[in-house]
Amino acid sequence: MRHATTTQGTSARLALLLLTLAAAVFAQDRSDRHGYFDVRSANTRLVNGVQVLDARLQLVLSDEALDALNSGVPLTIELNIEVIRVRRFLPDALDAELTLRYELEYRPLSQRYIVRNLNSSDQESFATLYSALNNLGRIQDLPVVDDAILEADSDYRMRLQAVLSTQQYPAPLRILFFWRDQWQLKSEWYEWQLER
Amino acid sequence: MAARTLKRLLYGTLGVLGVGLALIALFLLSRTAQNSQEFDRLYVYILLVNVGGVLVLFALMVGNLARLFRDYRTHVPGSRLKARMVGMFVGLAAIPLLVVFYFSMQFINRGIDTWFNVDVEAGLDDALALSRAALETQMRQHLNSTARIAAHLEEVSLPQLIFELNNLRRQTGASEVTLFGRNQRILATSSDLAAGSVPEAPVDEVLLQIQQNRPYVRLYPLEGGSYEIRTAVPIGGGNRPELSGLLQARYPVSERLSRMADSVDSSYSDYKRAEYLREPLKRTFTMTLTVVLMLSLLASIYGAFILSRRLVAPIQDLVAGTRAVAKGDFDTRLPAPSRDEIGFLISSFNDMTQRLSTARRQASLSQAQVEAERANLEVILARLSTGVVSLESDLRIRTANQAAGAILNVDLENRVGEFLPEVSVGEPLLEQFVDVARVHLNAGEREWREQIVLRGEVGRRVLTCACTTLPGDEDHAAGFVIVFDDITALLQAQRDAAWGEVARRLAHEIKNPLTPIQLSAERLRRKYLHTMNPDEAQILDRATHTIVQQVEAMKEMVNAFSDYARAPDMDINRFSIDRLAHEVVDLYRAQESGISIRLHAAADLPLLEADMGRIRQILHNLLRNSIEALENHAKGRIEVSVRSARYLDADVVEIVVEDNGPGFDTASISQVFDPYVTTKPKGTGLGLAIVKKLVEEHAGTIEAENGAEGGAMIRIRLPATETAREAMIARLPGRMEKRRERA
Repeated sequence: MRHATTTQGTSARLALLLLTLAAAVFAQDRSDRHGYFDVRSANTRLVNGVQVLDARLQLVLSDEALDALNSGVPLTIELNIEVIRVRRFLPDALDAELTLRYELEYRPLSQRYIVRNLNSSDQESFATLYSALNNLGRIQDLPVVDDAILEADSDYRMRLQAVLSTQQYPAPLRILFFWRDQWQLKSEWYEWQLER
Repeated sequence: MAARTLKRLLYGTLGVLGVGLALIALFLLSRTAQNSQEFDRLYVYILLVNVGGVLVLFALMVGNLARLFRDYRTHVPGSRLKARMVGMFVGLAAIPLLVVFYFSMQFINRGIDTWFNVDVEAGLDDALALSRAALETQMRQHLNSTARIAAHLEEVSLPQLIFELNNLRRQTGASEVTLFGRNQRILATSSDLAAGSVPEAPVDEVLLQIQQNRPYVRLYPLEGGSYEIRTAVPIGGGNRPELSGLLQARYPVSERLSRMADSVDSSYSDYKRAEYLREPLKRTFTMTLTVVLMLSLLASIYGAFILSRRLVAPIQDLVAGTRAVAKGDFDTRLPAPSRDEIGFLISSFNDMTQRLSTARRQASLSQAQVEAERANLEVILARLSTGVVSLESDLRIRTANQAAGAILNVDLENRVGEFLPEVSVGEPLLEQFVDVARVHLNAGEREWREQIVLRGEVGRRVLTCACTTLPGDEDHAAGFVIVFDDITALLQAQRDAAWGEVARRLAHEIKNPLTPIQLSAERLRRKYLHTMNPDEAQILDRATHTIVQQVEAMKEMVNAFSDYARAPDMDINRFSIDRLAHEVVDLYRAQESGISIRLHAAADLPLLEADMGRIRQILHNLLRNSIEALENHAKGRIEVSVRSARYLDADVVEIVVEDNGPGFDTASISQVFDPYVTTKPKGTGLGLAIVKKLVEEHAGTIEAENGAEGGAMIRIRLPATETAREAMIARLPGRMEKRRERA
């Protein structure tokens, strides 16, 4: 019994040591700006039988992400939109989901930030990061779902989330980014009722 | 046993789990490295598996290490060997792993560093700067062109504006020129783009620049790697307030220049990106390699424990088996683990223990047989009436049986190990026995046979002795054994038988002519006495009287012989010896012979089981014998004492008759019980012989000796009961046979 306790104690100490090491390896300077993604407002309107989205997001990059961007690493920002059918007795059903992926890239020759819609391949360039992020955070008249495919008698709610994706990076990098808060930029889900 | 199996099962499961987790972790790592799409989904699992594998293996290693340490401290067999083997295996596994780890790290770090070259970086910087310079020249030219267009347009009337704008656009090579009035209203535009395309509205940065009344020129990257230069200048002002706004012009960059610029841009970006990723990449590889190293190291350590345990287990079994054999457990069998050399060793061990076990069983069997024979021999020796004494060469007693002690009147059984001459001190019979033996041994005779006569206070004993050598063995040196038999009783019996025969013949041969002699003498007397003269008659009377008297005397003598020879059946009854003794003593007191007869009878005398007539005859004979011995003695005194006693572990009644007469002749004291041995002038010599015969018929003992203050003493011990009689017969071999003969 004493032996078992000793072993458990040693294991616990080892786990603590590993966590400490991991924390030390992946520790970030507290003075760094961590950045944040926030959905300030979002709503949908029915335009010609299509629900279109207007939203305002505040996207503030962390220092590490900014550093990576300025070093030529493109950042991918995803906007996840979900259409959820509200049910009374059963769990709500996810009827539709849409992911808009934008790539933010800095071009050293032109010294401009490019915002590229990866869904449509459209791109815009901006002289400043602020204007690029501002542009990214302003969603206007984005068609989301055809109202006809939604059940007439059901209530729906929608929700929106902005996420800094790291999926496009090589695996070794993602192992590293996985541990770093500055690369874990993700907004809370913003929810609203779908107006019919 | 069950707990040990459970523990082993637990350790085995944990080991398999740990190694399995390690392998899964490695597999997942390799898989995610090849397929980055699965990374996010699998990463948490990979991490958990890695951490779990490391923890399980570490826990196992710590557990094994603790157990090994404990075993080592408590000197468990095989623990030292196991510790050495674990150390060796761990060393063998750890050193190459660490070397590989070190060089891998070096290779990765240096390999990644070599991707980044200062010259390349400088070249890229230069290329970028060159590209920028080249494009900036174009940008300035295009800005100037736009400014010229604006200046020209300020001098053109409104109807001519569109026309002139087209001309100027073509002249300057712009792809689109648009005149924006206030509020970004399009006043005029010219474009070589597809018909229907909407002119590009000025973006915020353009407006901001124009609001500050400053020209705007920027290089715009387009889709597909092409570029365009956008310029804008303020227009209107004081001369033409209706044109107040801005003129925006877009100039395409040639395809060749765009391609080269894009190439430089991409290369520079890639290089910078790679440079940025260099450290994270190195860190990630280091972490992955470290995890792999730890997993491999821990797995190899655990493997070292398992391997060493498997190698040491048969040796531990062997040690335990050897200890068991050393403690005498020859039934130990070890499980044969394999067919290798250790397996051969264990099978040899099993073979050895089996042989040992068989040999011990046989030895035990033989020992048991020897013990049984020895016990039988001891029983036989104990029951033998023959005395057996085995001696060391220095006359130390090795063994002695009960009969030897009884014959020599010394408890030899309890004096084993002592020197026989020392034991014999104060023991007259043994002393004479030792003297005889010593004479032979001193003469170098190891095997001899002799009949010896030992003289004791209670008479003589005749022994037939035979001596032979005993071979020595592991425990004893060579010695010798003396076997002797007390043939006193046998000789006595032979003598008694001879005397009985003599008496019977005498009675038969002498008694027959006595009556005719007596009758003839009486007839001579009756017929001739009155016919003779007084003188002759007196002679005849005296002669015939003498003849008749002597014949009477001879008849009495013959009757006495006849009584001695005859042995009527015993009539055993229970009677009071006290009363009988009083009756007999009172009878002799009444004769007023002038002898003082005193009887001392104990108060607790038991009833005696014996033939009362014979006991009465014994008392009569003894008293008569004493009275005859005290004839002519002034103060004759006879002491008769009767008491109960223990003799030879039997209840006996002891009758002692002593007088203050002349006592026995010391020379012939051993023959006082023989017929015709007497010191008295009137004695027939049969009194004590008959007493002895009667006593022996009761399986009793009789001893004759002289008192300390003179006088004779006869001591008789009679068994009080039939049980005591049986016990005495068993104790005094030879008596039974004699009694039976008499019976």
